[in-house]
Amino acid sequence: MRRAAVYLTAVVAGAALGLGSALWMAGLWPPGRNLAFGDVDVGGWRSDFAIGSKAADPYTRARVARHGLLALAKSEAVYLTRAVDDTGQPLREACTYRLSGAVMPAGWWSVTLYDAASMLPANTDNALSIDAERAGKGAWSAVIAPMRPDSAEAWISSRGAGRFDLTLRLYLPEARLLADPNAALAPPRIARLSCGDGT
Amino acid sequence: MKRWLGPLAVLLVCAAATHAVTLAQAPAFIMARAMATLADRGVALHAFTATPRVTPQSQQVVRSSPDLTYALCRYDLGEPGTSLAVRMGASPGYQSLAFFNAQTDNFSTLRGTGREVSVRLLAPGSAPEEGAVVSPTERGVILIRRLAPDARSFAAAAEAGKADQCRLVAGEPVSR
Repeated sequence: MRRAAVYLTAVVAGAALGLGSALWMAGLWPPGRNLAFGDVDVGGWRSDFAIGSKAADPYTRARVARHGLLALAKSEAVYLTRAVDDTGQPLREACTYRLSGAVMPAGWWSVTLYDAASMLPANTDNALSIDAERAGKGAWSAVIAPMRPDSAEAWISSRGAGRFDLTLRLYLPEARLLADPNAALAPPRIARLSCGDGT
Repeated sequence: MKRWLGPLAVLLVCAAATHAVTLAQAPAFIMARAMATLADRGVALHAFTATPRVTPQSQQVVRSSPDLTYALCRYDLGEPGTSLAVRMGASPGYQSLAFFNAQTDNFSTLRGTGREVSVRLLAPGSAPEEGAVVSPTERGVILIRRLAPDARSFAAAAEAGKADQCRLVAGEPVSR
């Protein structure tokens, strides 16, 4: 009887260990983990170009299913995500940042802010992203802050976002981007300007 | 010490098996939940449903882009002989027609900037045909994206969306 109980405990513990490790390694648990992962890392902007295809490994497939459901395959669009600033600190609502970049190797691009649940932050500022049309040609920049800046710069509102990340979408990516992302893409920089809590 | 080897082996085998099964089933599980959520939110079966302009208040799935418009169609080709007639109306800006199976795979995407795109979606196991795409699974989601970063382009995309079609086509009766 005692022997059976030991084996039963081993089965339950094994199942719990397997379930927990799978959910953790796939980024599904605990809640609040972001999509900044993958085999592509361009200046801290991370992606997995197998997103949307069967070629993705089971961990990527599970994570994308949760955080990037209905994402397109790389021939149509690639998605890069970054959750830290240029000093490696997590992006958070209490701080003000300057996002800046150059010409992108794609037909159209955008950078959008998402909260820890991969949702647009619950505010009504109508300032959720910057895209190729608003940025214009050449170098561009935007201020990320919970309040509209005094300057006339483009603004991405982080109000209500808590800890957040940024997703760079590159539609109609150029072949050189898919072949060698580090050579083709000048990664947008995220400079922390100040923080409301004094840090 | 030796008497613990059996339970330890059982624990490791159960952990490995549960780990593998969880990973293998996660996309289908998440997609099934997403499709149920879309149905609850009014996304039709076998018809395109245009979503409102994406805002924090209207977003329906994770990581929606506020710079795009979306139209969704859920499909179920489980009835023998059925197929789907799919059309994406012409829009002046970027637009794409993307097919996702029940495992979340993006198994086909058709680009249609400035022109209308029509295609048939066939049930799993169908023979390939000209102008048709074979779905790897019976159920899935079709998603049209149109570039619409401002109110003017959103209105143009909404107008183009009136020509979208996602219609179930019944097949020949199955003889017994």
